[in-house]
Amino acid sequence: MSKSLAVALTMLILSACTTANTRVNKLDLVRPVAGTRVLVVRPSVRLTMLTVAGNREAKGDWSREGADNIAAALSRAISDRDLSPRLFDPNRVVSAQAIQVLKLNQAVGSSILDQEYGLTRLATKQGRFDWSLGEGAQVLGATYDADLALFITCRGTYSSDARKLAMVAMAAMGQALPPGHQTVFASLVDLHTGKVVWFTTALAGFDADIRHPEGADRLAAALIKVAPL
Amino acid sequence: MSFKIKNHLSLGVVAMLAGLSLGHGAHAAAGPHTLRVPGQMPASRTDEASLWTIMDGAEQVAKASPDRIKDPALTGYVQSLTCRLAPEYCKELRVYVLQRPAFNASAAANGYIELWSGLLLRADSEDELGFVLGHEITHYAENHAIETQRAAKLRSNVKFALSLAVNWTGQAVAANAGSVQAANDSVHTASAIKELLYLGNIAAYLQYSRVNETEADQAGLERASLAGFDPRAAAGVWRKLIDENQASDFPSRRNEPVGSSIFSTHPINSARMLALTKAAQGAVPTTPEQAQERRRAYRRQIRPFLSAWLADDLRRRDYGQTLLVIDRLSSLGEDLGVLNFYRGEALRQRRSDGDLAKARAAYLSASLYGDAPSQAWRNLGDLALRDGNTAMAQSAYMTYLGRAPNAQDRWIIDAAIRAMNTAAGR
Repeated sequence: MSKSLAVALTMLILSACTTANTRVNKLDLVRPVAGTRVLVVRPSVRLTMLTVAGNREAKGDWSREGADNIAAALSRAISDRDLSPRLFDPNRVVSAQAIQVLKLNQAVGSSILDQEYGLTRLATKQGRFDWSLGEGAQVLGATYDADLALFITCRGTYSSDARKLAMVAMAAMGQALPPGHQTVFASLVDLHTGKVVWFTTALAGFDADIRHPEGADRLAAALIKVAPL
Repeated sequence: MSFKIKNHLSLGVVAMLAGLSLGHGAHAAAGPHTLRVPGQMPASRTDEASLWTIMDGAEQVAKASPDRIKDPALTGYVQSLTCRLAPEYCKELRVYVLQRPAFNASAAANGYIELWSGLLLRADSEDELGFVLGHEITHYAENHAIETQRAAKLRSNVKFALSLAVNWTGQAVAANAGSVQAANDSVHTASAIKELLYLGNIAAYLQYSRVNETEADQAGLERASLAGFDPRAAAGVWRKLIDENQASDFPSRRNEPVGSSIFSTHPINSARMLALTKAAQGAVPTTPEQAQERRRAYRRQIRPFLSAWLADDLRRRDYGQTLLVIDRLSSLGEDLGVLNFYRGEALRQRRSDGDLAKARAAYLSASLYGDAPSQAWRNLGDLALRDGNTAMAQSAYMTYLGRAPNAQDRWIIDAAIRAMNTAAGR
């Protein structure tokens, strides 16, 4: 049992492509018409370096570049779909009302992770995916001129060079040392109604190293492919 | 044969890892008392720059926190104390006051300082606050945060290299906690991710070593003395925390070492207190009148918040501690209306044997002072009604409504008075 789990886990981690696990609000799922304004919220990215000993060391430069790369890649992907992207940095927001909406979005996102992907299920949801930020979300749309908002969060690790060497050396000894991995959460919020129309979690593939623009492009493509955009 | 090959290989790995670890260690920790150059920014792509990025995020959270007190007088006051203690870092240190009832302060690597209202409420004078701020500024000035991070990395790398050497054929690697945890994370998505996502584990970056703490005590004291604060206040800060632990309603809190809960980033022990007492011995003593004047000056700064902070402190539901804090604050002989009212509140909420009678006495004392909140009379009325003393209840309620004619609960009080009148046949 534990062996098959380990194998499954290894397969998951080693799979080259980005794998996504999606939830959608089926009732409100309509593909946006051309020209729809999409607020691309600057992703919250926190990357760490996985050291030889298995510790995680914060990497501010990776995190910053990762956020830059994903935001740029998503904007390109959205433009390619004839939608109109707008870059937006939540850290620059001063309006107390807008800050509240952003905080609420975090809280709702956290609940979605708990209730849709975790072990518990809210009895009142009855399998429906009908999460919402409420009409207060309109303040974002009105202030930043948008119809939809795309939120991305990325947390993960990349192996240090020394760990990569150690992985090879350990493999030669018949031992496996897990590599770094990155998890992405994305959500799409309708800024007219406040409804979370789409939510996904994804494990970035080895070809989608967001520290580089090409990798971020691949990640963005994988996300957009499963998004109602 | 194969054993031999494997053995060589493992030794090679060990040598490589140890080399890396020591290599990192050699560049790492700046020695003690190497002070930051004012305005110094971390070089890009360094571990220090990364630490700053994390702390910038934490600062954003503090800045946008609903707990943040933005009152210009108070924030200006603590910022000015900081500048007095560290004129060289005045421009780069940012102090945020957060309304949280625990005794806590922290300085982050990027120069942002959090000061919690529980600490401001418990400080007796500017001198005590000056010492705490001096202590925190020292953590910043001596780069303790990055030192700690580097030391931890060095330790874990060496430990890892050793574990390989000792147990190279075994399961040590697979069982390595860090690695397995990393693997597990991808399975237990929801729980592990949530923690990583929104909490950020900021506390982990604020744990300093005992050596760092002692350094911060000493250098903080020096800083405070140079800036004209009374160095004898320093030991008093820790003494107070120890006393407060002893006053707790909860046996578990009374028995735990001071600092393990509320002040966990700064473990306190008697050795630290002794060192501080010694260090302050040469100081010119202040006269009792001077000391009193300094306490009064400090009270003027926090007076507008006294009521709100005491109400907050009650929410911790450790009435023994709150009562001790109130006793201390009362010893100045000012704000006795507010302080006696909250003493009454603590006793009324605790409801141990005899507490309600004591609460009534406290509200009564409060009512003798001009600064008593009008709720004192409402609560006096409630207690009198409870005892069946309707005459006293009536008069207390009337006073309450007279002082707070627009009280939200006016309709309840009106109804109570009507009920008493009906019962009395009036």
